[in-house]
Amino acid sequence: MIEVKNLGKTFDDGTVALKDVNLTIPDGDFIAVIGLSGAGKSTFLRCLNRLENPSTGEIIVDGVDVAKLRGRALQRYRRTAGFIFQQFNLVDRLTVMENVLTGRLGYYSTIQGVLGLYSERDEILARDYIRMVGLDEKENTRVDSLSGGQQQRVAIARAMTQEPKLILADEPMASLDPRLSDVILGLLKDYNEKNNVAVLVNIHVIELAKRYAKRILAFNKGELVFDGPVDILDDALEEEIYSGSLEML
Amino acid sequence: MNMYIYTVVGIIIAVLSALSRNSMRRLIVAASASLIIAFLAFPFTTSLGALSRQTVMPTLAAISAIFPLFIFVLLAALVPLFTNRLNARPSAISAIIAGLVTLISMALWSGQSSKLVKLAPLYGLMEAITGLIIAGLIVLIGWNRKNLRYLFLVLGLAAGITSFWWLSSSLGEKYLPNVKGYYKVITNVPSDTEERIIKDFNESLEALNKQRKSIGLNLLEPIQNITGLGGQKLPRAAADEGLRLLEPKRLGYGSLVYFLMAGLLIGSGGMLLLKPKLRSESDGIGGLMIALLFSALVPAFAATDFSIQRIIKGWPFLQNFLDRSWPPNLDALQQVASQMLVTIEIAFLGTFLAAIFALPLSFLASRNLTQGNRFMRAIFIFTRSFFNVDRGIDTLILALVFVAAVGLGPFAGILAMAIHSIADLGKVFSESIENVDKGPIEALEAAGASGTNVVRWAIFPQVAPLLASWVLYRFEINFRVSIVLGLVGAGGIGFVISEKMASGQYDQMIVAILAIILVVNIIDFTSSWLRGKLM
Repeated sequence: MIEVKNLGKTFDDGTVALKDVNLTIPDGDFIAVIGLSGAGKSTFLRCLNRLENPSTGEIIVDGVDVAKLRGRALQRYRRTAGFIFQQFNLVDRLTVMENVLTGRLGYYSTIQGVLGLYSERDEILARDYIRMVGLDEKENTRVDSLSGGQQQRVAIARAMTQEPKLILADEPMASLDPRLSDVILGLLKDYNEKNNVAVLVNIHVIELAKRYAKRILAFNKGELVFDGPVDILDDALEEEIYSGSLEML
Repeated sequence: MNMYIYTVVGIIIAVLSALSRNSMRRLIVAASASLIIAFLAFPFTTSLGALSRQTVMPTLAAISAIFPLFIFVLLAALVPLFTNRLNARPSAISAIIAGLVTLISMALWSGQSSKLVKLAPLYGLMEAITGLIIAGLIVLIGWNRKNLRYLFLVLGLAAGITSFWWLSSSLGEKYLPNVKGYYKVITNVPSDTEERIIKDFNESLEALNKQRKSIGLNLLEPIQNITGLGGQKLPRAAADEGLRLLEPKRLGYGSLVYFLMAGLLIGSGGMLLLKPKLRSESDGIGGLMIALLFSALVPAFAATDFSIQRIIKGWPFLQNFLDRSWPPNLDALQQVASQMLVTIEIAFLGTFLAAIFALPLSFLASRNLTQGNRFMRAIFIFTRSFFNVDRGIDTLILALVFVAAVGLGPFAGILAMAIHSIADLGKVFSESIENVDKGPIEALEAAGASGTNVVRWAIFPQVAPLLASWVLYRFEINFRVSIVLGLVGAGGIGFVISEKMASGQYDQMIVAILAIILVVNIIDFTSSWLRGKLM
């Protein structure tokens, strides 16, 4: 369970990305985060595993405020929160297996990590998740020879191999063919149901959000303007969430 | 030598470029600007003292005080710069006038006989210009860094004032004696000075002739006027007073600029009258660029004694050298082969050692990996500075030092090569590291990997092929460097060449040269093929 209290983020150039965000994420929740681009969705996700440092507020995970963590303690927290990126962020010149195993690096000492001395259990774990995302044939293929959809599945396997308690996915389908959306979201949904792990997905296609998520978070200009179950999200609310989109054009 | 040939060359250039439809107005701007630069900066004629180092080559600007006609050259050259915005006609006519004024004043000048003049140094001018340049450079460096702008402004002013003060002090005069009073104006002397010098010369003639007789030289006649001193130079005392013998007929390299530019102005002005359409946008800036390039080239030719005549004179010797080196004498083949192997090994080991040391250093010299804390930033600055200093010292210079330290032979060469290449490789390595894709770094950080693991698994796989390719490229360069290393005594094929050259065995030397051509090409070809495979 994660409690976010008064979370705010102001960038060095003065841009206010998040203002006073308060919410609770119970284990096993599947949450879609919606809003216009620039509304603060990405910053919110990135704050949750500290790719961005929050300017104000607290993020309480298991009684610890992770917003203040540094060094080794921060690394220990991060391995419990898997992150999936829009641009996959794989290491192009490594194989599928090597990429997926980097998800385990947070559990190893520096020397073991540098030498790549992964335990047999972790290799089996990585292989299982590679099979789960349907790439068992490609284990020893360099990822730069895979298609975009396959690469994103490698990235998902990497995040799952972390055995996280939370998965954060920042627009995971935005760089892919729209037909692949169901594959990606289906994988995340399965994992969420089988392991009771909370998943937060940034989505800008609202139909997909309604189809997969139990709960919707909506941001507008850095503020959390809606937080509730999918069924009460009606047209009027949607309009409010996307208000200002014409001005932006 | 007849300088008017340059005027003809100028006219021909103008006509040819008009035929190929180049902008005449640009040529006019270029020629006028070159005239102005030459007027202010290029040595025009010779003025002799007693010693050869007392010879001063004044510019037109410096002579203007005694020959005011030259002011008109400057004024006439300025006019086309201002009329170039108008129509073709005023631009063309002012160019022709400027060309004619220049030619006429040159003709009037060289019609004069030798003349006694006095130098009037302009103290402080060169010192001030140097100070201004130093201050300007420092201010310019800081100008784009908003938070440091005023710091650099203060620093620059302080450095400028300090250098002005140092150059003006007795220390500056001791270590940079040419700077003090570098700019001098030529002024007239009272007429009795000339008589005094002639009298002094004639009085000392008896003693001088006695000396000349004792070493078998012909005797000198008493002189009537100052021109007679021409070959003899001034008496020492007069020269020390600042007097010089100005010789209008002994022109310096700057003078050819006036004749050439006069021809260009007349030629391009004439062509512009005939074809007023030969103008284009941005003629002003284009012309200035041409003038700057030209003005940088002219002194370079003069300073390096560049001369086609000497190539023509030296041709028979070159031919003789080629005759004696052909056919190649294969007696040297074994020696050449063995020493070629040594040269390759120097390059190979030197590059390998450099790569081993450059790899860890380059991570410390990468901006993106060293911004964590103050300590890392200090290491970054230190490593980068080491690279910059080391890169400035060429392998050959290092080799001279190491030959002195560890003795003649390949070991000195390897040390020199490795140490220089560390900086060169380190710098390109760290630039490659700075340009890696940030995505994977972020992904591994997000998974909780430590900094070292991020370097190992996100950065290293990305840069490894790039680094390998840089090492290969460095090996290509180092092979050619190690050939030259032999010449300073660091062993290898270069040493064979210098040895054969010294003993006149040109037919054996040519074997070594042919071997170098062959191996250089093999190595370059193989290396670029390998680098292609890596990418």
